[in-house]
Amino acid sequence: MKHLLLKLEPVIWLLFGQGILIGTMLLTGWILVVGLGVPLGIVSPDALTFARAHDLASSLLGRLFLLALLVLPLWKGAHHVRSLSIDYGGLGRDTAVATVMYLIAAVGSLLAIIAVVRL
Amino acid sequence: MARPVNPHAMTPSRPGRTRTAPPQAPSGWYTQPRMLKYLLFDATGIVYLLVGFVALRVVWALGSGDAAWAELLRQLQNPLYIAFHVLALVSVVFVAVRFFSLFPKSQPAHIGPAKPPPQPLILAGLYAAWIGVTLVVTAVLAGWVL
Repeated sequence: MKHLLLKLEPVIWLLFGQGILIGTMLLTGWILVVGLGVPLGIVSPDALTFARAHDLASSLLGRLFLLALLVLPLWKGAHHVRSLSIDYGGLGRDTAVATVMYLIAAVGSLLAIIAVVRL
Repeated sequence: MARPVNPHAMTPSRPGRTRTAPPQAPSGWYTQPRMLKYLLFDATGIVYLLVGFVALRVVWALGSGDAAWAELLRQLQNPLYIAFHVLALVSVVFVAVRFFSLFPKSQPAHIGPAKPPPQPLILAGLYAAWIGVTLVVTAVLAGWVL
């Protein structure tokens, strides 16, 4: 497994890096509106009626936006939790932690693809 | 023969002539300001993972129909969700500010004959892109445009 993780490292780092850069850029506006604005009543609930939200999300640009928004933060998160585990627990358990974290991110990414396709 | 990269590849094959103690982290290392910021940056990974799965839940509900969507919007008003999204916003801003400050310093001196732009210009570009993308995403999602 350690050998496989080393082989996959360029791909994981690409997703991790884009999770920081693109994920952060996309998440800020998403959290401001979907996470805080509408629930707190700062933004009109008409902005996220089912029809409008579905129209926006099911367009090609909307699907690409959502795919990046869902997938990239998962890989940023998985890699940083692995890093945190190394900081506190050393390298001894790294292979196991990395395997679990990347599996979580991979399953989440697969579910994200399904969620975006079924819109 | 090519082999996978080994992080310990540069370890000397034999101990040096000068005896050295094995490296040890000083006690309370994680409370030192420089380390604390580094560890907080890593810890935002937990928030990003959760935000990713919450966003997945939002999109899944949207694909499940009108009733599921209405129920999800109702659940997002729960104070726990609100508190989580406040934490998520703080984390995202912290990641952006820290990453943008490090990014210009990590650029190679040159790529072939081309040199990267001056560091302040890269930094300004990153902030401009972040603010620009955030404004567009916010305006579209909030229904101020489209």
